[in-house]
Amino acid sequence: MTDAAQASLGATAPGEAPSTRRPRAPIGEFAFAAVCAALGVYAIVGAGFIRVPPGSASVLGPRVFPYAVGVLLVAASIAVIVQVARGRRGVPDDGEDIDPDAPTDWLTVGKLIVCFLSQLVLIELAGWPIAVAVLFAGAAWSLGAKRWWVALGVGLGLGLVTQLVFGVWLGLSLPAGPLLDWISIFHG
Amino acid sequence: MDSLTALLEGFATALQPQYLLYALFGVFIGTAVGVLPGIGPAMTVALLLPLTYSLDPTGALIVFAGIYYGGMYGGSTTSILLNTPGESSSIVTALEGNRMAKAGRGAAALATAAIGSFVAGTAATLALTFLAPGIAKLAVQLGPADYFALIVVAFLTVGALLGSSVPRGLVSLGLGLLLGLVGTEVLSGQQRYTFGIPSLADGIDVVIIAVGLFALGETLYVASRLRHGPVRIIPVGGGWRTWMTRSDWARSWRPWLRGTAIGFPIGTIPAGGADVATFLSYAAERKLARGGAKAEFGRGAIEGVAGPEAANNAAAAGVLVPLLTLGLPTTATAAIIISAFQSYGIRPGPMLFENQSGLVWALIASLYIGNVMLLVLNLPLVGMWVKVLRIPRPYLYAGILSFAGLGAYALHFNVFDTLTLLVVGLAGFLMRQYGYPVAPMVVGGILGPMAEEQLRKSMAISQGDLLYLVHSPFAITAYVTLAVIVALGVWLKRRKARYEAAPTLVPTGAIAAVDEREPEKS
Repeated sequence: MTDAAQASLGATAPGEAPSTRRPRAPIGEFAFAAVCAALGVYAIVGAGFIRVPPGSASVLGPRVFPYAVGVLLVAASIAVIVQVARGRRGVPDDGEDIDPDAPTDWLTVGKLIVCFLSQLVLIELAGWPIAVAVLFAGAAWSLGAKRWWVALGVGLGLGLVTQLVFGVWLGLSLPAGPLLDWISIFHG
Repeated sequence: MDSLTALLEGFATALQPQYLLYALFGVFIGTAVGVLPGIGPAMTVALLLPLTYSLDPTGALIVFAGIYYGGMYGGSTTSILLNTPGESSSIVTALEGNRMAKAGRGAAALATAAIGSFVAGTAATLALTFLAPGIAKLAVQLGPADYFALIVVAFLTVGALLGSSVPRGLVSLGLGLLLGLVGTEVLSGQQRYTFGIPSLADGIDVVIIAVGLFALGETLYVASRLRHGPVRIIPVGGGWRTWMTRSDWARSWRPWLRGTAIGFPIGTIPAGGADVATFLSYAAERKLARGGAKAEFGRGAIEGVAGPEAANNAAAAGVLVPLLTLGLPTTATAAIIISAFQSYGIRPGPMLFENQSGLVWALIASLYIGNVMLLVLNLPLVGMWVKVLRIPRPYLYAGILSFAGLGAYALHFNVFDTLTLLVVGLAGFLMRQYGYPVAPMVVGGILGPMAEEQLRKSMAISQGDLLYLVHSPFAITAYVTLAVIVALGVWLKRRKARYEAAPTLVPTGAIAAVDEREPEKS
C-alpha cells in the first residue's frame, strides 16, 4: 500500500508520461468488469426463469434475446479482464473540469450520492422546492462551495422557480409540499 | 418537387409566431446549456427534455431541434475559450481554436466556428431535405431482416468505435441491452428482470439511462477529480464586427465546404457520429494546408477550426437522416430524440413522412430557422456566453444534479425513477473512471427492444430459418459494409490516437505568458 502511495506520488512529478500516472494494481477495473460479467451471468440465469406461454405461435420465444445479451456481456467483460491483465488499462475520461492528475475523491462522490438519495424521501414528504433546495445546497457544499447559506438560498430559489415553471406554468404535477400547499399559486 | 412543396408548408407552420418563439427559446436555452463546461450535446438534450413534456408534438420537436443545434454551437464556444479540452466532438476544435484564442485570435476562432456551423448546418439540412424523402420511400420496402441487419450494424459500429477499446464498448452496449430488456415483453406479455416491481414492468425509460449516464454519471465523475482553483477563460478582445479579416474569410470558406462534405455522409452512417467526422476533417485540413498555414497547424490555424466545426454540425444534421427515415438512432443524442418522439406516440421510420408529414416538415423547416437564429445569437452574444462559462463549479454541478432529479421524477412522478437514475448514474461514473464509453449503453437501451422485435418478426416469417436474416441483398450489403466500417474505424482510431499522442508544436512560452496574465482578469 505504501508502495502504491509512493508510486502515485512519484507519478505526478512533472515530465512523466501520463500512461504511468496510476501504476497501482487495477483492482477497481477488475471489480467493475467482474460485476459486468456477473450481470451477464444473471441475465443468462434469469432468462431461464422467464415464463414462455404454452402453445405460443412465435418461433423465437421471449428467452432467446436475453440469452444473447447475457452471452455478449459475459464475453465482452472477460475480454476486458484479459486486456487489463495484459496491461491495457482503461483511459479515464477527459473533461473541462477534470483534473487528470487528481486521485479519485471517493468522499465527495459519497456525499453527492447521499444528497441525491435525499430526493427519495424529500420530494414526496417535504415537496419539490425543499427537496431541490436540500439537494442543491448539499451538492454545492460537497463540491466545495464556501458559503453554505448562499448555496441554500440559490437552491431554494431554484426549487421555487422550477416549481413555478414546470409545476404551474408547464403543468407537471410536482408536489408543492405541506409548507407551500396553502399558497394557491403553487397548485398546478 | 414534392418535397419542396412540403417544405414550404413546413415553413408556413414553423414561421407561425408561437413556433418561432419556441424555436428561439430552444436555440437560446440549447446554446446556454451547451456552453456550460462538461455538458455535451447529449446531456443538453437529456437535461432539457422535461421542458417539452407538456407542449404539443410540433412545438416540442421544434424546441428540441433548436436545443440540438444550439447545444452543438455552444460546445465550440466552450472548447475555444476554456483552457481545457471540451466534449468529444469539439476536442478537435479545441486543438487549434484554443491555441488561436491564446494567441489573441479568439474572436476569429469563434467567428469561423459560428459561421462555419451555419454554412454546414444549412447545407446539410438542405441535403437532408432532398435525401430523406427518397430514403424513406426506399425504406418502406425493407423487411424485418433488413432492419435487423441495420440495427446490428448500428450496435457494432457504435460499440466498437467508441471508447478506448473494443471490448469496453461492447460491455457498455451489453449493459444498455440488458436495461432495455427490463420490463414487459411486447409479443408474449411476459415480465422480464422486473423483480416483480410494478414500476419496472413498464421498462426503464431511455431518458433515465441518458440522464443517469450523462448528467449524474458525469457529475459524480467530475466531483471525484474536480479541478480546483480559478476558472481560466481566455479573454476575447475587440468588437464582433472586426472578428474575421479578409484573409480569415479566404482561408475559411474552403474548409467549411470540405467539412460539410465530410461531416454529412459520416453523420448518416452509423460510424460513431460527429467525433469521427471532426477528426477526419481536421486530418484533411492539416494535409491540405500549404505554406504559412501548414506551419500554423499546432499553433492555431484557422483552417483547423473552420473544417472540424463545419463537419461537426453537418454530421449533426446527417444523424437526422437515419433517425427520421429509418427510426435508427446512431448517436446517444439521437437515441434521446427518438425517445422524445416515442413519448408522443410517434414512431420515427419510413412511414413518418407519410403519416406525420406536416410534423416532419415543420421540424425540418425549423432546423433552417434555428440555424439563422444561432448565427445571429452567437456572434453578438459571446460576451454573455463567457459569463456563463464563469459559473462557479460547485453551483454548476449542483444545478445539473437538480435538473437530473427533475428529469427523472417528472417522467412518471414516482421516486422509483429517481432511484433507478442514481443506480444508472453510479454505473456511468464507474464507466468513465475505467474508460468505458457511455454512448453505446444509451444506444443499446433504445435499439435493443427494436432489434428483438425485428429479429422475432423475421423468425416468425421464416419459421425459424436463420438463413432468412441474410436472404435479401440489402441485408447482405449491410453486413459486408459493417465489416468494412469496423475495420476502417479501428484503423482510424489508431491514427487518431497517434495524432493526439504526438507532441504539439506550440511554443510553450507564449502560452505560459497568457496563463499568467489571466488570474488578474478573473
